Amino acid sequence: MKVPYSWIKEFVNIDAPVEEVVKKLNETGIEAVSYTFGKKIENTTIVKILSVKKHPEKDRLFLCEVTDGVRKYQVITAAHNVFKGAKVALAKEGAKIGEIVIKPVKFGSFVSEGMFLSLEEMGVVEKAEGVFIFPEEVKEGEDPNRLLGLGEEQIIEIEITPNRGDALSVRGLSREIAAIFGLKRKEKLPVVSIAQEEVPEIKFLTDKVYRYRGIVIKGVSIKPSPFDIQLKLIKSGQNPINNVVDVTNYILLQEGQPLHAFDLDKIEGDISIRLAKKGEKITTLDGEEKELTPEDIVISDDRKAVAIAGIIGGENTKVDQNTKNILLEAAVFDHISVRKTSKRLSISTESSYRFERGVDIENLPNAQDKAVELIQKTAGGKAVGEKDIYPHPYTPKKIKLREKTTIRILGFEVKKEQAKELLNRLEIPTEVVEEGTVSEIPAFRAFDLEREIDLVEEVGRLSGLNQVSETYPKIPTQSFRKSDEFLFELRTRDFFRDNGFDETVSYTFVDEDIYTILQIPVPSIKITNYLLKTQSIIRDNLVVSLLKTLQHNLRFQNKNLKIFEISSAFFDSYEEIRLGILATGSFIEGFSYTKGDKTFSTEEKWDFLKIKGVIFSYLRSLGMQDVELKEINLPYLNPYQSAEIMIDNQSVGYFGKLHPEKAAKLKIPKDTYVGELKLRYVSRELEENPLDKEGYLFNLYKKKENPVFKELPKFPSVKRDLAFEVDESLQVDKLLKTIKNSSKYVDEVRLFDVYHMGNSKKSVAVSVDFRAEDRSLSDDEVNSIVEEVVKKLQKQFKGLKLRT
Amino acid sequence: MSLRREIESLEKEANELIKNADSIESLSSIKVKFLGKKGKLKSILKSLGKLSPEERKEIGQLANKVKEEIENLLRKKEQFFREKAIQEELKKDRVDITLPPSWIEVGSAHPVVSTLVEISQLFISMGFSVAEGPEVEKEEYNFDMLNIPKDHPARDMQDTFFLNNGMVLRTHTSPVQIRTMLKQKPPIAVIAPGRVYRKDADPTHSPMFHQIEGLLVDENITFRDLKGTLKIFLEGIFGKDIGIRFRPSYFPFTEPSAEVDISCTVCGGTGCRVCKDTGWLEILGCGMVDPNVFEAVGIDPEKYTGFAFGLGIERIAMLKYKINDIRLLFENDMRFNHQFKGIR
Ligand SMILES: [Zn+2]
Repeated sequence: MKVPYSWIKEFVNIDAPVEEVVKKLNETGIEAVSYTFGKKIENTTIVKILSVKKHPEKDRLFLCEVTDGVRKYQVITAAHNVFKGAKVALAKEGAKIGEIVIKPVKFGSFVSEGMFLSLEEMGVVEKAEGVFIFPEEVKEGEDPNRLLGLGEEQIIEIEITPNRGDALSVRGLSREIAAIFGLKRKEKLPVVSIAQEEVPEIKFLTDKVYRYRGIVIKGVSIKPSPFDIQLKLIKSGQNPINNVVDVTNYILLQEGQPLHAFDLDKIEGDISIRLAKKGEKITTLDGEEKELTPEDIVISDDRKAVAIAGIIGGENTKVDQNTKNILLEAAVFDHISVRKTSKRLSISTESSYRFERGVDIENLPNAQDKAVELIQKTAGGKAVGEKDIYPHPYTPKKIKLREKTTIRILGFEVKKEQAKELLNRLEIPTEVVEEGTVSEIPAFRAFDLEREIDLVEEVGRLSGLNQVSETYPKIPTQSFRKSDEFLFELRTRDFFRDNGFDETVSYTFVDEDIYTILQIPVPSIKITNYLLKTQSIIRDNLVVSLLKTLQHNLRFQNKNLKIFEISSAFFDSYEEIRLGILATGSFIEGFSYTKGDKTFSTEEKWDFLKIKGVIFSYLRSLGMQDVELKEINLPYLNPYQSAEIMIDNQSVGYFGKLHPEKAAKLKIPKDTYVGELKLRYVSRELEENPLDKEGYLFNLYKKKENPVFKELPKFPSVKRDLAFEVDESLQVDKLLKTIKNSSKYVDEVRLFDVYHMGNSKKSVAVSVDFRAEDRSLSDDEVNSIVEEVVKKLQKQFKGLKLRT
Repeated sequence: MSLRREIESLEKEANELIKNADSIESLSSIKVKFLGKKGKLKSILKSLGKLSPEERKEIGQLANKVKEEIENLLRKKEQFFREKAIQEELKKDRVDITLPPSWIEVGSAHPVVSTLVEISQLFISMGFSVAEGPEVEKEEYNFDMLNIPKDHPARDMQDTFFLNNGMVLRTHTSPVQIRTMLKQKPPIAVIAPGRVYRKDADPTHSPMFHQIEGLLVDENITFRDLKGTLKIFLEGIFGKDIGIRFRPSYFPFTEPSAEVDISCTVCGGTGCRVCKDTGWLEILGCGMVDPNVFEAVGIDPEKYTGFAFGLGIERIAMLKYKINDIRLLFENDMRFNHQFKGIR
């Protein structure tokens, strides 16, 4: 809300500089800034247009003869709103508008001696249509800068928090400023007399209206408003329309009470306030047809809806040039209903904005009377009838504020006398009682001040929350819980970063198309009111995002990518914190090197075993020893280079090479490897214990027992190299494990060669350490152990041969 | 020629030969020539028998001395050749030490995660524990129980993403407060770092961003305690000299509420584009837990008080690293990310 400081001064005797007012407002809870209204332009004067002619040579230009009362000027303009008799501001030779200096310019064979000014050039608005027409009462030769207060008037712009609807008016803001500065707010009461000759008929057909006061004014004449009213509206950021409409807007700004003027002669029969019928339509003042529902409150006559209550009037009863008689409405409607309708129809008006935040129901007659007074003054006419329906008059709630509550919450004492003084300044009638104070909450704060704590806030903010010194709480030791989950993620993050992976953070919402390309089902959770369709699916895995990141980086020729992300994947009833990794291109970026007869390259490409190595190393860092890989069939992975990761028979993740077909479709390199590990379960239900869930690394990690120290071996081992011929399909790991378990003397088995021989056979060479706990093994002993091992292996693996 | 003369000239000859020797092989032939079984020294000593005992003793001693000397010279020269050979061998494998390393270069940290972790650890070291909740959240926890009723303008403060399952993407980390208080009785001292979502996108707003929520509930916790805690935190992150300002404000779930500004880290408070010439930067929101929230979770507001605060991580990360567009943070363009190697 924008308010000219001079308007505030009509309500408070304050001479503090505007900067101080703004500073104090900020310090006590209302965000405010101030700025100067418009830009002062030298060499300007008010002129009267004596004649307007079309430029004989140039289309769209007008030739005007004007006078400043001393001499005549010829001015050529493109503005369409000029007319004979109009008073406008003329920038004469030497006037500076921005960087442009006005001087006589020829348009065809005619010279223009200056330029008419719009509010845009005067720095009042960003964009203006046509020149600014001053009211008739303005004299030619006057200084437009002085008339408008250009470069002089200070504007205060405030932004209120949703609880402070009471400050959304000159009156309310003045009340706040008076309280802050300890001044008295003043008020000039309206003087009106309303005859009861033509009392309007008004009926309530819904309980969503709390008060409705209609006043009939007859014999008005519609014309532009007086200059001072127009000027205040302009300074407050509004467009003047006509005297009646301007008064309703003026009073809304000044008093915070929305008003509406209907053309009485367009109303058929009586007025009722009712809920809209399903499918009922109304064309609003801005010319748009809206369809209503029984959620909406309307003002209606006997035949039709004439306004959407509290939001906007109807076209059908609009005040126009020919209006003679009006019905002036002041009402208070249910703020929830107004809000719902305003949201649904996407219409937000000055009126709906105020109703949603609470309007002072007790100030209604005062505000409306001021409007009647002003209308009679500016548009003539006579108030001939009034009806005020107010079924449940406001009764102030009494709230006690205990001294002990204030100190308990704020940490500093506000004595009850002091509290009384502060609250009274806010125009909240307050008395001292034994424990503290008791306040009667006036209607203008009824929405905000309902409990003791609300008054604590009031005395707190006026005492200055910023000034009070700080204290240091004792953080209770018994509340301490080990933040293991957090530390677990940190540790995971550190591992992957230390191993060369770059950390990424990507949006949780993704595009459907990646799922189509990967041939996996689109997740079920979607944003219904998304910003972009491509950001509407809530992802159920991180790989989709990592692949997008790869695509993005390929655009910048970045072909070597090692990235990871730790974040959530989403499912119908729970979430998982996952680790996602992606690697492509070089594992180690390098160069080739030749010296003498030696040539080598330091570069290493990613392959399946390297990815496996990183993942296994990570799992080992968590103390996971028994990790097994199972074949997995995911549509987006190469079926022969992908695996499911099993620990304790629980699947904790997978990794593998991207399926070449999918890689081609995504236009990413074939040698792209991806993987995911399920770190933690995050429940949405309070009762669920994430630690009960299977398949999460964190849970396995928590349950893992500490290693138990074993005595170091006392006798040396004997090493033998053995090579076996086996079926090509035999998994090497199976063979290694079988060897390991084939005899108590086998201490360690190391693979050193795999050789595919053709004929579906391969040779697997291992180096085995034999050791006895109680003696050194002799050669003969080792030979017979080897024999025994080979026999066992042959029993288990058909066709296994020991190669010699 | 006397024997003595013979020995002396032999020594001279050997000296000369060793000095000019050019390989380890030539040294061994010198050794054979002079000291071998059929070598020159041996043959001289054969004629010792002809001498008187005194002379024999004298010449014998001399011969021994010469023998030792030659041996010594041979050993030294041999050592020289060995060292030279090693040097040559090493030189062959000389490496240009300025060649790029063959390495797994450490990965880059994400500035937002890094800031989130730094702040979390600061609070953990103050005695707070980490709590968490889901990002797909019930409206009840995200709004209602936080004293943000349906159809209240306060809901406009946070433009919400609604989901097809009747839930929302949490608009703040505050629902974790509710979850924590429903599960745990006071005293409570938790922080809740995590992702939050609002329907908003421009250079300073992202539809997804990160927050850290803090909550301390116990008997006798006051607004001044809140000030002290946040002062320690802000000075910990921005340094001892940072200016801090508390402005009363409004959040439905705290009362009284305040917004906290720090003196502009870009201009130091004199006014610039970043702080819109105010000299201050809005950094977090905070307040005393509203009694309605306590009542919603079954904590007695007459017995306990508490404070809560919430801060946006991106804002802090952007100030810290002078990043001017929030969208860069989530594009994962490695030309951006790689600038953050070496931060934790
Ligand atoms: Zn600044």
